[in-house]
Amino acid sequence: MIKRFISLEWKQFFRASYFQKGLAIKILLILGALYFGGIALILGGSMFVILKKIIPDVDPIVSANNFLVYWILFELMIRYFMQQLPVMNIKPLMIIPIKRNIVIHYLLGKTIFSFFNFISLFLFLPFSVVLLVKGYPAINVLFWFLSLMCITMILNFTNFLINKSNTVFYILVPLFLTLIGLEYFNIFKVSKLFGQIFNALYNNPVFVIIPIAIMAGMYYVNFKFIRKGFYLDQTVSRKIKEVNVTDLSWINRFGSIAPFLKNDVKMIWRNARPKQVMMMSFFFLFYGLIFYTQPMYIKMPAVLAFASMFVTGGFLLSFGQLVPSWDSEYYKLLMSQNIPYKKYLESKWYLMVVAVTISFILSTPYLYFGWKIFGMIAAGALFNIGLNTFITLFGGALNRVPIELNTKAKAFSNTNGFNPTQMLIALPKLVLPMLLFYVPYKLFNFEAGLIVLALSGVLGIVFKNVFLNKIESIYQKGKYKTIAAFAEKK
Amino acid sequence: MITVSNLSKSYKGIQVLNIENLDIPKGQSFGLVGNNGAGKTTFFSLLLDLIQPTTGHIKNKNILVNQSEDWKPFTSSFIDESFLIGYLTPEEYFYFIGELRGQNKSDVDNLLAQFKDFFHDEILGKKKYLRDLSKGNQKKAGIVATLIGNPEVIILDEPFANLDPTTQIRLKQILKNLAEKQGVTVLISSHDLMHITEVCERIVVLEKGDIVKDLATSEATLRELEAHFTS
Repeated sequence: MIKRFISLEWKQFFRASYFQKGLAIKILLILGALYFGGIALILGGSMFVILKKIIPDVDPIVSANNFLVYWILFELMIRYFMQQLPVMNIKPLMIIPIKRNIVIHYLLGKTIFSFFNFISLFLFLPFSVVLLVKGYPAINVLFWFLSLMCITMILNFTNFLINKSNTVFYILVPLFLTLIGLEYFNIFKVSKLFGQIFNALYNNPVFVIIPIAIMAGMYYVNFKFIRKGFYLDQTVSRKIKEVNVTDLSWINRFGSIAPFLKNDVKMIWRNARPKQVMMMSFFFLFYGLIFYTQPMYIKMPAVLAFASMFVTGGFLLSFGQLVPSWDSEYYKLLMSQNIPYKKYLESKWYLMVVAVTISFILSTPYLYFGWKIFGMIAAGALFNIGLNTFITLFGGALNRVPIELNTKAKAFSNTNGFNPTQMLIALPKLVLPMLLFYVPYKLFNFEAGLIVLALSGVLGIVFKNVFLNKIESIYQKGKYKTIAAFAEKK
Repeated sequence: MITVSNLSKSYKGIQVLNIENLDIPKGQSFGLVGNNGAGKTTFFSLLLDLIQPTTGHIKNKNILVNQSEDWKPFTSSFIDESFLIGYLTPEEYFYFIGELRGQNKSDVDNLLAQFKDFFHDEILGKKKYLRDLSKGNQKKAGIVATLIGNPEVIILDEPFANLDPTTQIRLKQILKNLAEKQGVTVLISSHDLMHITEVCERIVVLEKGDIVKDLATSEATLRELEAHFTS
């Protein structure tokens, strides 16, 4: 039976349309996997030396154990955001004579081979090897390694539950937050406690039964959970939530683009994928922290210009690049309705402008780094509003990848809305602000750079209609191709 | 109202539709039948300028549909689920369509009130998104949305599929009304010969992209169609 399942998976994988989509994406994905795997391997191999160097008077294995809790937290977070849950098309399997238990065991067993489990393996295997080479007691090291692998599995199954069950999510998240809070405000050193636990695991190989037991327990809980939901109305059909209709009539003041704006707001609010994009774009706000805190970058103003554009441009870049795709599910309706294309585009433009403005307001704490930095952010915001929006909309005209609105994008498995054209289009968005700033900066001074960058944005706003008309005609030209591409089933 | 001349559509050299001449006068209820792959949806898609004709053109009220967009204000259509916006409630969807067609909220409400029976209490006020409705209820919402804004041409692809018997009967009544009393040109396709002969005053049979029959509906039409599809 298992053999049949695997053959089904195989076919599903290789016959999936995203797999057949293009060599470039495949290569990129493989490179990405290799890259992260490689980093983990190198990090694992050199961890002993690094720890020795940073904390010379503590045994590296003890330091490793002390830091382990952070890794676990990090891993769980990454998993929550990125790991694709195992899905099997169980609907056709429900009516044919296969024991349900077999299907569930298979489903859970499949998760063991998730890429995320291998990261842990790649990280701790070389570290353990180094430990052995350095002459640490073999039994302790081996069982410690085994414990870690069990913990990885525990995380794997926990993530499954967190994703599937709201109850687990709402229990675990406050729990973690409390622990982090206790640690952060120095009330109780949680990390110390966990350090002791992991050190105890290392010192007493017998304790390996504890993680094994927890792992087995988690497996059992997962098994029960899926078993319970193994009915059509539970697993296969989605839960229908009652809708809260919010009054958006205040948007009507935007005039003729109001219907579209209202729709866009609802679209973002009510669908998983755009919501995810909105959350992600929030993180762009912190982009500046990476650059402004490094003395190295302060001397490279072109890089700062780039970073400043990013601070306010998160939503613009991540939402804007997929502009017609957001409406791919009902594109035929839009195309056959009484819709002026320009209004449609203008609505998207306003949405991005509002997002940039909000980001700009939220970025005022950057004043801490001085007026020069804040001036750059302001100039970057103007550039975003005036030029970047149009470049992004223009790029969207070349983007014909349908999006499933209510499905979260997850790493390595969902390549929706990602293609080489997008990457090419992204280049001017990133390079242009650097050039606009850098050339006058080199020729004259810092202020000249700021002024040119800001003016480029103002020019864009002044010539808004010209740009929109041009972009509209490009969209019109690609209309049939776009309709056909969006109609393709995934 | 609608004039088709020398229209053909080919994909990779294979012709899927070829209509030399077709004239649909204003206020006619026009039915399109044919087996799978006969070209019904292709024809409707061409009519809505969703695909490009290989040769020829369609005029809708003397407007070339692939040249100008001026036909859009008086033409409405429901071809498949991609004409619905899944994350809206039916009400929001109707108001959105209404806004696009220059109707205010109370105009739309008035229209919806007429279809209380048709909705059978399953569409309005249910606090559900369209994507969470059953196929049949989605179709009901889509069909009624095409009636918003007094269109002169209505295009429906297989409107009877997925509907329950009660709704099918009510839909027939609505469609007949539109053509007979309000002078709306109604174009529908169907696999149900009985329904289409009941609703349409003219029926065209497509076969592999060609028009093989063009009948004015009479007592004998149903039998003739049945004979045609049996052979």
